[in-house]
Amino acid sequence: MLRVEGLTLSVKGRALVTDFSCTLEVGQITCLIGPSGCGKTSVLKWLAGILAPGIDAEGALLLNGQAIPRPHCALAYQPQSDALFPWLTIAGNAALGLEVAGTGPAAARAKVRPFFPDFGLETCEDLYPDQISGGMRQRAAFLRTIVQDSRFILLDEPFSALDAVTRLKMQGWLCDRLARVPRGVLMVTHDLHEATQMADRLLVMSAGPGPLAADIPITTPRQNRSEAALAEIRTTLKNLLLET
Amino acid sequence: MPLVKSILPTLLLGAAFLLTWQLYCAMAAVSPLILPAPTDVLRALVVERAALAPHAISTIGVATLGFSTSVAFAFVASVTLHFSPWLQRGLMPLLVASQTIPLVALAPLMILWFGFGILPKVLLVILVTFFPILVSLLSGYGRVPQAYLDLLKAMRAGSWAIFRRATLPTARPSFFAGLKISATYAIVATIFAEYAGARQGLGIYILTAKNSFRADLVLAAVVVSAGLTLSLLAALRLIEGLTDPAQRKSRNAEG
Repeated sequence: MLRVEGLTLSVKGRALVTDFSCTLEVGQITCLIGPSGCGKTSVLKWLAGILAPGIDAEGALLLNGQAIPRPHCALAYQPQSDALFPWLTIAGNAALGLEVAGTGPAAARAKVRPFFPDFGLETCEDLYPDQISGGMRQRAAFLRTIVQDSRFILLDEPFSALDAVTRLKMQGWLCDRLARVPRGVLMVTHDLHEATQMADRLLVMSAGPGPLAADIPITTPRQNRSEAALAEIRTTLKNLLLET
Repeated sequence: MPLVKSILPTLLLGAAFLLTWQLYCAMAAVSPLILPAPTDVLRALVVERAALAPHAISTIGVATLGFSTSVAFAFVASVTLHFSPWLQRGLMPLLVASQTIPLVALAPLMILWFGFGILPKVLLVILVTFFPILVSLLSGYGRVPQAYLDLLKAMRAGSWAIFRRATLPTARPSFFAGLKISATYAIVATIFAEYAGARQGLGIYILTAKNSFRADLVLAAVVVSAGLTLSLLAALRLIEGLTDPAQRKSRNAEG
């Protein structure tokens, strides 16, 4: 269990986020939503240990009750763009996290190879990022994140660069993968449809600094999440976002 | 065919220039001592080829040594300055100032300080070619996307790992752009250094030809110098192509 306690972020004394607390569980997808500029991405970057130098932060990060430093190997971060290095093959990109952590290049590639079929990338190992489609690039980025064996994954709008159809496919695909390789996921998104389809829990941030506007669990199983079943929760979310 | 297509405009314009020059010499009846026609230059090149060759080889030697040393220095300096912003702030204005020193003042001083050997020439080539490579490397380092840095930092990569895995590969195109700019200066700087004082080299050949009022030989040496610069650029382009991960298998992925 990963817990953020009393996180406050400020820029030159002006509060950006105040008293943000939440808990992430392995096997659960938590979506962080809120109006533009409310500090969602900053919260995610703080967790990843890559907050911009001008932002001051106070707060604690606890893993099973123990305070941990950031960046930490229990958390893997995936930036908004796929951030695949154009000079590395897809196999090289997928193995990047393992190599940075000290695994030898050959061993790292051997470890990522078995994942390629499951990620729909079996023919792409030796291709370069600009030789494959946007959806495949995103899957390669997920592979790079997942093979790091971190218990928690931080995703910053992972589908924002994809077209609508690919986005829908990828949302379902990611939920399937996470069902097989359980991780605790914190995903920042703007998309209410995406959030309600994927999340086990929704954390709604308010526009101004302050505690969370809402913490909404979604108990309906994913396969039963029809438009009608989600209508009520989406209306609630819309109202919350328009109010904040 | 694509190669022919890409160099065709250059060939046509070059031919038009030479033809105009040739016609002007023929029609205006200019003395070959003042302006030799392209055919005169070509004749001089053929007749003097045995005399020109050792000079050209000497120039290639100095230029290659100076240029390679310069690339090595510029790389080490760029890494040092990248990891020490304080040093970068302090040194860059001095390096810019070093570029404002007129070669015409420096070349004779170099000869005075270091003699007629290879050292003053190599130093002059380094002085001329070092700065563009350094600046292009530093500017390339600055172009690494924030997402790459964030990704590696979140993976707990240290500064050197970030440099090696993201910053340096990002700087590759800038590095080669700087190399090409510097390469065009390398031969010219060598010839200038030789002109100021040398036993052998195209510079001293040009000086001797000028003193004998042999404009055709001066221009023949210029043609050789241009040929050397173009060969250096072609070699760099080849190295860039061979070491580029983009030069790879045909595109065979889904659309």
